[in-house]
Amino acid sequence: MLFNEIYGCYYNTVAKILASAVKRNLTADEMKQIICDNAFSESFLTIIPALVNEQWQLLNPELHTPLKHEPTMPLTMLQKRWLKAISLDPHIKLFTVSFDFLDGIEPLFTTGDYVVFDKYNDGDPYEDESYIQNFHLILDAIHTKKKVQIQYESQKGNHRTILCAPYQLEYSEKDDKFRLLISGCRYAYTINVGRIKACEIIDESTVECFIPKQKNPEFFIMELVDQRNALERVMLHLAHFKKEAERISENSYRVKIYYDHDDETELVIRILSFGPFIKVTEPESFVNLIKERLKMQKSCQLK
Amino acid sequence: MAYTELIKNFERIRDYMRDFYVYGFKSRNEYEKKSARSYDNERRRIESYLGDYMAFRQTQNGKNAFLSIDSRNAVHNPLYKALKSKGFTDGDITLHFILFDILNSPDTALTLNEITHMIDAEYLYCFKNPMIFDESTVRKKLKEYVELGLLSSNKQGKQMVYSRNSSTDLASWNDALEFFSEAGLDGVIGSFLLDKTDSGHEHFSFKHHYITYALESEILCELLKAISEKRIVTIKNYTRKSDNVKIWDVLPLKIFVSVQNGRRYLLGYSFSLHEIKSYRLDFITDVKIGDISPRFGELREKLSEMQEHMWGVYCNKRYVSLEHVEFTVHVGDNEEHIYHRLDREKRCGTVEWIDKHTCRFMADVYDTSEMIPWIRTFICRITTMDFSNRTIENQFKNDIEDMYILYGVGGEE
Repeated sequence: MLFNEIYGCYYNTVAKILASAVKRNLTADEMKQIICDNAFSESFLTIIPALVNEQWQLLNPELHTPLKHEPTMPLTMLQKRWLKAISLDPHIKLFTVSFDFLDGIEPLFTTGDYVVFDKYNDGDPYEDESYIQNFHLILDAIHTKKKVQIQYESQKGNHRTILCAPYQLEYSEKDDKFRLLISGCRYAYTINVGRIKACEIIDESTVECFIPKQKNPEFFIMELVDQRNALERVMLHLAHFKKEAERISENSYRVKIYYDHDDETELVIRILSFGPFIKVTEPESFVNLIKERLKMQKSCQLK
Repeated sequence: MAYTELIKNFERIRDYMRDFYVYGFKSRNEYEKKSARSYDNERRRIESYLGDYMAFRQTQNGKNAFLSIDSRNAVHNPLYKALKSKGFTDGDITLHFILFDILNSPDTALTLNEITHMIDAEYLYCFKNPMIFDESTVRKKLKEYVELGLLSSNKQGKQMVYSRNSSTDLASWNDALEFFSEAGLDGVIGSFLLDKTDSGHEHFSFKHHYITYALESEILCELLKAISEKRIVTIKNYTRKSDNVKIWDVLPLKIFVSVQNGRRYLLGYSFSLHEIKSYRLDFITDVKIGDISPRFGELREKLSEMQEHMWGVYCNKRYVSLEHVEFTVHVGDNEEHIYHRLDREKRCGTVEWIDKHTCRFMADVYDTSEMIPWIRTFICRITTMDFSNRTIENQFKNDIEDMYILYGVGGEE
């Protein structure tokens, strides 16, 4: 079963404590630090007494262990089957990994066992050699904190060349596309990896990982009436946003959603998809975006 | 029973986590209607696992606890932590580390008797009140680890000898694990592997990322095992509305994943209804894997044929023909992106230009109602509609009228 203590954070944390004890240098402070770094916030209340009081007979009160080796554990069959499954995924070509140790292992699933039925059909070209090469180079630059020179085609079809410091790759499951998050360039802070025509690491430069401060998120407030299962649909649909919800009467709710300004148009569209069961009430600018679309629809004179 | 941070069964906390994260407006009193004693313990556990994300709000009905997470900023799914909280006994953890210390290399092969003796003589002797592990307890643990694939057992003469399987260095897999632990099916398994690598990188982030899928990981894992072995399963399935639990014998055929509505489904053949049906994974509470079915290939093929007319997961309307859906949208000057949007989002439909400023979308589907939310996203440019299901078409138009009123568009308010 997947829900098993051998994958749990207590086993992992205790393994780290014992690894230190095997080297004969474990201190009480270090033990507590390992627990803080690896386990849950109240775990020290359980793990420390269990170890020092010999409830788990792995460490004595002097913090010495009878173990002779730093704890290690082989992969379980479930882990191997999962690795085999992802080795069959089209995205795996973006990563330089060896599958030799998975010979003869049955995959947990294959690409025929599932379908992502609502992702867009113009995802990035994961079979394309030059895309793969660009991706490898960018990932290398992120690892080594090097600047890169990128030639890309903008959304309007213009060709541009920029020098920038890449720091993260953002993947959208809906779009099935990667965007490169960059800093140090005044013209752009994201580039669709699929739009990159060429890129080159500028070897002499090493940049401190510079992740721009997060912009203050925008928010809007909506009221929803729970008809035709609207509450469940809306809350699940928008689950990935930071939000605050409250019940305002037996059947109606007020929800505050935080979002990135760049995603505003997408959000307006998504709000429209729920029809008359939600009404955006604040801010006025967001309400006006919806009104504008409704006015345009009215002018279409749909009969 | 005294509070413990770890849990035996994931099912109860799964419900609470989902409510805290997805909804977040329920007060303590509302949870108590469901289970008077457990709320405080479950809330404390969730706070212990996910303290950084826990938030509270005081309302007239009491204090609301909720999880406030922007999944775009969380490079590792925080909800995976709950899947790393399985409880165990003092003997389990003691035996675990001692066994792997005794069997520290694949070259070390020992009998049950030798292992049991070493546990006492080389490990437990140094404690004041040494635990006692009899042969049957040690055998049971060794058998469990053989089944998990951690150890191998081989017969030598009349005796079974045990050795550990080889370890694998996953250092070169860090990036792949970071990606697939979030974007892959049952990514929590990748998260388990990442826990061993000390990676700590944040090279990937994820947009439109439904982290609640983590809570279905165990159910999904069992279903994937069944699919890979073409086995029938017995599932326990409930609906939130009725709170009724139903038990179904199903041949699982395929998992349907949505990256837009936060739901995943099992598509499987129901032996009692004699048809392929969809079952939401978040409503399945238990999966028991049964016998192999000889009909897997035939029914998977049938589902594939049905997919040509499935917009979402609805795939059966016995004795009724497919429903035709057609609408046109206005495309202004320099708005070619609208055509591209229709084209990339069309799924089983088709899109065509009918004049310089108009595109037509057409599809024949099992259930028009599944398409309605998507069609509404074109509100502001829909010029004509022609649905064979007139009831749905009329409802769509009435809904738009209601939206005009709701927002005071056109002076009706």
